[in-house]
Amino acid sequence: MISKSALLKVILLGDGGVGKSSLMNRYVTNKFDSHLFHTIGVEFLNKELDVDGHHATLQIWDTAGQERFRSLRTPFYRGSDCCLLTFSVDDGQSFRNLANWKKEFTYYADVKDPDNFPFVVLGNKLDVPERQVSGEDARQWCRENGGHPYFETSAKDATNVASAFEEAVRRILALDDRADHLIHNNTVDLQRKSHPDPSCC
Amino acid sequence: MVHVYNCHPFASQQIVQVEQEPGLVCCGGGVLFVVAAGGCKVEAYSVEQEGCPFICRFATMGTVKSIQHSKIGDYLVTIEEKNSATYLRAYTNWRYQAEGKARVGVRLLGHLLRGASVQGGVQMEIIEIPLSERPVAMACCSVTGDLLVGCENTLVLFALKGQNQQNPNQSQQIPQSTWPKSQQSSSQSQGQTLSSNQNCLDFERSVILHLQKIKPKKVALCGGYVAVHAELEVLVLKLDSSCEQNTLDELSDTKKTDHLEDQADFLVLQRHQELLGDRAKDCDIPVSIEKTGLEDSTGQYTLSYVLFRRFTPDFFQGCNVEETQLHSLQLYPLFTSNQSVSLEEPTCVFCFFSLPTAGYLYSLMGGVELLSAYQYPEKVLEAVLTDHLLHVITKNALQCFTVRCSAVAARIKDPYIDTTIKACPPCSLEVCALRMQLFIGLRSVCVYGRHVILLSTADAETPEEPERTTHRRGLELKEHTLLTGIFLAVGIDPATTPALESLLSRPFLSRKWTISSPKETSSAGHGWNLYVVDTVSPLTLYQEMVEYSQRYAETNPQAQSLRHLLSEAHLLLRASLLQTPEQQGNIEGNPAVSLQTDTDGPAEKQTAVQTGIQELEEALRQNCAQLGDCFSRGSQKDCHLALPYYRMSGLSVTDIIARNHPLPSSPHSYGPGFLFYLKHYLLEETEQILSQETADEVIDIFSQSEPSQLVSVCASPPMINISPAQTLQVLQHLEATAGVSVPLTITMATMMLRLDDLPQYSQLMERHAEMLLVYGFIEEPRLLLHGGGGGQHTHIRPTALTRQLAKSQPGLLVAAMVALHENNKVQLEQAGHIFKELGCENCLQVDFWEAMLMASSQEAVIQELLFRLVSVYIDRLTNTTSDAHPNEPHAPSRRRSLKSADDLMNSCSHYGALYPWLTVLNPAQNTSSQHQEALYKLQSLLCGPSLSVGSVVPLMERLSEESLWGFSLHLLCTTRRGQYDRSIEKLLDRCPQAIIAYANHQLQDKHMVLWWQKLLPELCNRTRAAADNSILLSALKETLVVVAMETSPTEFLELMPDDGTAFYFLPHLLTCSQSHLLA
Repeated sequence: MISKSALLKVILLGDGGVGKSSLMNRYVTNKFDSHLFHTIGVEFLNKELDVDGHHATLQIWDTAGQERFRSLRTPFYRGSDCCLLTFSVDDGQSFRNLANWKKEFTYYADVKDPDNFPFVVLGNKLDVPERQVSGEDARQWCRENGGHPYFETSAKDATNVASAFEEAVRRILALDDRADHLIHNNTVDLQRKSHPDPSCC
Repeated sequence: MVHVYNCHPFASQQIVQVEQEPGLVCCGGGVLFVVAAGGCKVEAYSVEQEGCPFICRFATMGTVKSIQHSKIGDYLVTIEEKNSATYLRAYTNWRYQAEGKARVGVRLLGHLLRGASVQGGVQMEIIEIPLSERPVAMACCSVTGDLLVGCENTLVLFALKGQNQQNPNQSQQIPQSTWPKSQQSSSQSQGQTLSSNQNCLDFERSVILHLQKIKPKKVALCGGYVAVHAELEVLVLKLDSSCEQNTLDELSDTKKTDHLEDQADFLVLQRHQELLGDRAKDCDIPVSIEKTGLEDSTGQYTLSYVLFRRFTPDFFQGCNVEETQLHSLQLYPLFTSNQSVSLEEPTCVFCFFSLPTAGYLYSLMGGVELLSAYQYPEKVLEAVLTDHLLHVITKNALQCFTVRCSAVAARIKDPYIDTTIKACPPCSLEVCALRMQLFIGLRSVCVYGRHVILLSTADAETPEEPERTTHRRGLELKEHTLLTGIFLAVGIDPATTPALESLLSRPFLSRKWTISSPKETSSAGHGWNLYVVDTVSPLTLYQEMVEYSQRYAETNPQAQSLRHLLSEAHLLLRASLLQTPEQQGNIEGNPAVSLQTDTDGPAEKQTAVQTGIQELEEALRQNCAQLGDCFSRGSQKDCHLALPYYRMSGLSVTDIIARNHPLPSSPHSYGPGFLFYLKHYLLEETEQILSQETADEVIDIFSQSEPSQLVSVCASPPMINISPAQTLQVLQHLEATAGVSVPLTITMATMMLRLDDLPQYSQLMERHAEMLLVYGFIEEPRLLLHGGGGGQHTHIRPTALTRQLAKSQPGLLVAAMVALHENNKVQLEQAGHIFKELGCENCLQVDFWEAMLMASSQEAVIQELLFRLVSVYIDRLTNTTSDAHPNEPHAPSRRRSLKSADDLMNSCSHYGALYPWLTVLNPAQNTSSQHQEALYKLQSLLCGPSLSVGSVVPLMERLSEESLWGFSLHLLCTTRRGQYDRSIEKLLDRCPQAIIAYANHQLQDKHMVLWWQKLLPELCNRTRAAADNSILLSALKETLVVVAMETSPTEFLELMPDDGTAFYFLPHLLTCSQSHLLA
């Protein structure tokens, strides 16, 4: 349970080319490279942050969106604390595939209670003028599929990227709070046992 | 008994600047890995650089429960937990993760798909290793880099695979010989690693071992050895890949059922058990193999049991189960430098494991045996084995014990150890505690080379850190009490031993213990610390031990402790010298060398290594000299060890004699070890000739201590310079006290010879009969022969006495040489060499051979001698003329042979009597006697039973048939080879007057028919051609007489020539008929 509060695993899913790697790079290193390679398999980066007074290490998992890499990425869904379902607003197909991504994640991550699992939906490439997916369509999909928060982002312009990740953290922590009284004492006990020295605090 | 010394193996300590409290610590490849308590972050620090600078930091994917580093492949493996699930992961290319800002690749075991995706070089990768069971423990093989994972009831072996990024399709087995090297260089300069070591790693699940009856707590892997321990049981297995079908499955299956039945009937009480080698298979822990490797090339695996040990909690001694738990399981390989370039196979593999109260070290290769048992003075939390030392931590101290690994390795490496050539302290030498260094709240220990890394965490109940000075005083007091307690625990009361008392009163935190912490304040303020304690170089520790030993030497040179300490020091040096040059030059915790490499090139480094080795070798020689001293003065027991140690010291005899001078005050004379050394030295034919002074001193030593050895000592080649007059006096005194003996008389005669007193010499030599003198030489061959003995490469050579005998008593010399040969004191070739040195190759040597023929009964030697003698006789025949000139110009001084032809024919069975017909051929005395003798001897050999004529035919070709004597020899040969027809013809051609004598002697029995089949027709033909030849006619007549006697009348009639006159043959026919009628 310590690990849950210390390390939050957030996984980025979505079709190839929607900008998952760019979102992660923008958020963690605040850089953007328009000629990024395809991701093969799975990679991750860590980001330390404080959200609403909670310190957390965010471990952001970037996955390969192409269908042919499915077997390389699916084993790593397990243990995720939050899933960021990503599409590109200039690519209707990527939006239509969100349901498939959600299904794939739920299946492979072996989520105990899928209805309460925190998903966050990201519509990326807001900077591109030709939109194929309207904000309203996206919001409607989120409402109908479990009330997921929706963010329209641009990794290129750094629009909304940080808020999206922070929302993910908030969702995870909120989930923890709901179960807090069950596990909170436990957490404290463990803490005390491994940090017995008072001078440490 | 546990020896406790107070050496200073620890040089300095540094405090690693870790910000968060460390939870887990491990090290490898020159790097210390720290996992923050309860965290998911690993920080890497360089152990090899001053101050242990931070290298990089990276995040793990879950909470790390266990972490290990593999030297080969430079990867980390972790057991992690996240959301209550347990994972096994390997972290590779972690060095590319500076500040944790680069992207980290993650993949499953076996899914190697890198290459195109890697942006801008090498990327850190995490390999997720899925397991069907929860992993409990893991270990990396330091030889191959393979990974062993212990789960609930199985052990899973993963083979490390390397894949080069340049050719991603070509998977290859890791070239093991090169990997450790690249690893070594990588730890020297990190930059090099980054560019050169661009390999992708992967693992292949190769074998699963199912162990139903043991719950693994810790595992270890080294080479093919697999070790696992549960709470109270240790099992070591050997896994060999082979092509043979594995039969162990069935074996263990049957076993299983057996034991199940057993257990149904009886209540099995677990007992203390130690099963070594093959016997370990009786440990009722069945193991079955499941092969999972994909490639067929990996072949089959066979499994054998190596070691099993079971402990039971000793309730009577107040121990409970928790206190009797095993820990610190380690398989430890030792590589030595005489191995081939590849480091694939370690020379030895050791297995160490520990209970809180005792540690056990086993040697696994070449027969499993318990090497040492370490009785700890207090409860030990963790222990680590290194080449030189065993480090253990208790709650409040780092203790350091000696190990015996180098004693085992030295014996495997050098078969001459434990002979008179070389020695090494025994593997069973009692171990000792070298040092106990106090710390507060120690939690864990790990070791990299000479760096011992300690994690200390102050307990909650630990009082506030007191003021600095009093704290220090407190430490000393505490240490004093502790040490006293240890002495008492092992049965020594320090109060009764002044040396110990004074030892304990010395301050333990001496000048040698320097604390070099740049920011000492950082250690305050929190209750934990991560220390890097450096051990001193083995050479430094050695020197301290020697210094220490001097104190023992002063008080009591006979003390066991002195010997023990010197033996410990010896093993310490051995351990360093056994290492490969790479290891020595390495990095592995050798600050001196690694500092140099920062600035110097490889050549300088090489020289530094060389100098280091030379220093160690010099120290080893000194140590051997001291050990030699120890054994030379010690008691009778083990005194023989003085010899090999002195030999290894490289000291000259003169030096060693000087070291062994008895003290003027001491009534004690020379030690038994010293005399043993001296005797062996003098007996074993060294080429080191002693000066007169030393040689006389040796005589003096022996006349005092062991007069009975004096003859043997005087005869020894190194003693050649002894002063004869002085020695003579000693010998005369010996004769007066111990009585006359032949070797003694001969030795005295030798001294007279050295004094040029020939009359006295002769008088002495005449005191005994020649036969007795011969016995004397058998007793002490070195009176005649120097060198050539004991398998040494020295040439054999005659002594002055031998030269004198050759001149004055050649018969005695020959007899002595024959006796020495027959008693295996000299070989034929060596004797030949002696005669050559004496310049008597052609005379005394031939006499020797002739005498040997008489004495020897060895068929091979006889044939060799016969051949040589034939050759000599032929030489003599060709080199002397047959003219009877008394003084031949080219052999003026040739002495007569000791044995004449007649002597030999009469006394030696190999020389036959001359055939009668030879007298007809041998002309009267018109040749020189030399020539005559040679001819008779050769003819005699040819007439004798032993010479194989066929073998000497090529030699005979040198002789012409022109002369009658030459002809006689050839005729002997053809006759001996059974060519009678040819012989008869030749004889009729050359010397018909001998034909009847020849036929009478040779044509007997089955050859009788030749009389009428060959001789008669031949004679008939020849007389027909020369009718007036009276010799032929008389021969014919003689022949007819014989033929008439031997044939029937009809046969005789058949034999009559058609043109013969009846008148001539009738009388013979009549005789024939009459004799037939009578019969």
